[in-house]
Amino acid sequence: MKSKMLRPLILNLVTWSLVLLISFPLLWMIVTSLKPQTELFRIPPTWVPETVTFEHYWRLLTETPFLTFFRNSVVLATSTTIFVVGLGTLGAYSLVRFRFRGRETLAMLVLFTYLLPSVVLIIPLYLMMVNLGISNTLFSLILAHTTFALPYALWLLRSFMEGIPDDLENAALVDGASRLGAFKDVIFPQLLPGIISTALFTFILSWNEYLYALVLVNSESVAPLTTGVMTMLISAFNIEWSLLMAASVMMSVPLIVVFAFLQSYLTSGFGAGGVKG
Amino acid sequence: MANVSFTNVRKSFGDFTALESLDLEIHDGEFVALLGPSGCGKSTTLRMLAGLEFPTSGDISIGGRVVNDLAPGKRDIAMVFQSYALYPHMTVGENIAYPLKKRGLKKPERDEAVRRAAELLQLEPLLNRKPKQLSGGQQQRVALGRALVREPRVFLLDEPLSNLDAKLRSYMRAELIELHRRLGKTMVYVTHDQLEAMTMADRIVVMHGGRVQQFDTPDAVYNRPANRFVAGFIGTPPMNQIEGTVQGATFVVNSHRQPIKREAFAASLVDGPAVMGVRPEFVGIHDSGDGLPATVRLAENTGHETIVTLELPDGARIMSRVEAGRKLSVGQPVILRFDPAGIHLFEATENGARLNLDIPVAATLSQSA
Amino acid sequence: MTTIATDPPRNGPSPLERSYSRLGMLLIAPTIVVFSAVIVYPLLAAIYLSVFSIYTPTLEGEFVGADNYIEMLTGGVFWSSLLTTLIWTVGTLSLQIVFGVGLALLLHQNIWFRSLARSLVLFPYFLSTVVAVLVWRWLFNDLYGALNHGLMQVGIIDMPLDWLGSMPNAMIGVILVGAWKYFPFVVIAVLARLQTIPENLYEAARIDGAGPIARFWDVTLPQLRSVLTVIILLRAIWDFKEFDLLYLLTGGGPVTSTQTLSLLVYQEAFSLNRMGQAAAYSVGMMLVMLVFMILYIRRTKEES
Repeated sequence: MKSKMLRPLILNLVTWSLVLLISFPLLWMIVTSLKPQTELFRIPPTWVPETVTFEHYWRLLTETPFLTFFRNSVVLATSTTIFVVGLGTLGAYSLVRFRFRGRETLAMLVLFTYLLPSVVLIIPLYLMMVNLGISNTLFSLILAHTTFALPYALWLLRSFMEGIPDDLENAALVDGASRLGAFKDVIFPQLLPGIISTALFTFILSWNEYLYALVLVNSESVAPLTTGVMTMLISAFNIEWSLLMAASVMMSVPLIVVFAFLQSYLTSGFGAGGVKG
Repeated sequence: MANVSFTNVRKSFGDFTALESLDLEIHDGEFVALLGPSGCGKSTTLRMLAGLEFPTSGDISIGGRVVNDLAPGKRDIAMVFQSYALYPHMTVGENIAYPLKKRGLKKPERDEAVRRAAELLQLEPLLNRKPKQLSGGQQQRVALGRALVREPRVFLLDEPLSNLDAKLRSYMRAELIELHRRLGKTMVYVTHDQLEAMTMADRIVVMHGGRVQQFDTPDAVYNRPANRFVAGFIGTPPMNQIEGTVQGATFVVNSHRQPIKREAFAASLVDGPAVMGVRPEFVGIHDSGDGLPATVRLAENTGHETIVTLELPDGARIMSRVEAGRKLSVGQPVILRFDPAGIHLFEATENGARLNLDIPVAATLSQSA
Repeated sequence: MTTIATDPPRNGPSPLERSYSRLGMLLIAPTIVVFSAVIVYPLLAAIYLSVFSIYTPTLEGEFVGADNYIEMLTGGVFWSSLLTTLIWTVGTLSLQIVFGVGLALLLHQNIWFRSLARSLVLFPYFLSTVVAVLVWRWLFNDLYGALNHGLMQVGIIDMPLDWLGSMPNAMIGVILVGAWKYFPFVVIAVLARLQTIPENLYEAARIDGAGPIARFWDVTLPQLRSVLTVIILLRAIWDFKEFDLLYLLTGGGPVTSTQTLSLLVYQEAFSLNRMGQAAAYSVGMMLVMLVFMILYIRRTKEES
């Protein structure tokens, strides 16, 4: 009898201590960002801040180019997402619902590029951007982000598209719709959750990307958050951890929003992303 | 006129031939069932008629006009899918109105047509619901409503009842027969369920291995199967097929000599190996006398009849249908006698043709229908 | 010879079918154009560049034939980097799988606030690597870092450790952070699969007298096998090519002890300014990865 009561309790304790251990770095990030500079370098550290301050956030927004970086990241991730999801939706529709020569090969090529390491492409892409005279622009970054975002989005959307029964489109065709009409009236509304999920994934992917920004962009005015914040770390005379932690929290805001409201879309994207088995 | 014809239609997917040389002539207003096991090509046939698949060669025409190059929406057909394929994001009313919208009808006209269809199918209280909120039977009726609202020349139905439970299925069968009678439209109905085909269709196309095995009335398909496949496919239990030898006016099986009337069979019936087909209801079970000895293996009493499985000395099995309540015990030796009126002879090949000479009633019947 | 007048036999696809495939190609065309421009062309260019010697700042160079590849095979840097990459991949992947499966099993149970727990566990995966690295570098800080103090308070160590500046700590550090960042992927995939295991399998095992451990080995694990294969392949590919995390955490250091192939390529191209050599390394790296990629692609093909 006793073990019946005890078992769930132990299970909960074990699970939750592990969960808290895993989230500790994130909690620590928030705690650090709220500590005044004086409390930060205390030994041993205070686990709960004695005084809570938002000065670092204020400084971040007023004294650093953080907002520029943030704006750049928003433009970059949004443009990449719209571009890639737009292309990918049409492409996935074609790959799944049309028969033409080379369709299978194309699908396999998409999968192949989905796994391709970025460093293979970075050198030629760098040369290409320099030759086109568009290096060090947000546009070059959007193009570069397409290299990983497009195969990813295509693969995800293809999988979502396969989940829509063929007969829905067939019914629309028999009912008098053209192929594109059937797409607009029937497939698109069905695909919408998949499109949202893909868009979220693409956005996060682009938002978090570092390597391309590192290589292709070197001026503060076009740097996204990833490289921008890292330069703040490197350039500072002594590293201002509170400030960096505040920047980290701010940088994660879009993610927190997605997590709070749209998490189910993220989970459904996983199934589509090739992890079936 | 909305007759449908397939002329020398072939369909292959790569190396796989789904249909070889299909020729069909379906009359205006006729209810035709395409019947066969899965993979026989019946769905492909229907989908080609709908314009959802393309024939590799040959012509398909509706009302005398070749429709091969017409988009599905321009063929003036309506289709009910096995999965119903209701648009999940539209209400029932919007679903039914969709084909009208695509034909450019104005909203008041659409609403009127939807109202009439809903009335016919008793869907009025459901018009504002989403398909997900409906039961299987209700979804089925919405699919029908969407098909008939536009008054097409030909109705295509792809296993429309297979997702319903048994009770609802028999109810919907009656509904469909009634609907066909009322609309008088050509209907092509794909099914793997012979009961549906037998009870609803004017004529049945029995298909197997990408070929038409027989195209005839339910009565003819049952009583005069064209070949061994049809004989073995139609009827539950199907026709018994007993291998033996023709010797003069007898069919010899296991040293039992069954008399046959040679003049009732085609000239191609020659002495030698053949297959005798007998429906279970023509297999009589007797305690003694002249006949084919067998042993009772199983007797299944369904309440209104008893289905008996019998084993011949060589191990072959024969089914018999006798009256309910007949006392037979497993292992009991019996004597089988076949009613001469129910004897069919087939060529001994794998799908041998039937060799009986029949007065061609079937043709005249279907012409006048 | 007599000719019989008949309609010409229909041959090949009908106009309708042809117009459909034209539309299909039209819809995929923009994708193909972009694909060719930003992926296929650079990929071929990488191979082309690998037979040149190019000085990065001026982008001038000359044809050197197989020299870069000879350098790659005989120079030793490539091989030691490959070894580092393998240690990193195997290390972090094993931790990801063990923790991922373990946590998925726990989170599959009926615990309090399950969805909150799941969200918390998932979060690191979606977090920017930059953020993850900043947080961990702060945690790893030898003087003020929470990690050293925590470990000292618990009594595991009595002197602060130099986490990222010395070996083998640096490798352990990156493996640990990699595991922390990427194990949620395993959790989600395994959780999704766990939810589809029919309950009656467990009931049957219980009736057959199997305890919880036997049920895990005989029911759960065989059911997870195929999804685990996919996860391992996919994660192996992704961990193998990881750049951001390692570059930001240690920069490949101390010296080159955590310099994986991705970092080697980057350093060769943009620090040592030898772009041709870097391209050769990247091609070599891709060839190594090709094994996993083909395995994964073949598996995916089988499933569809």
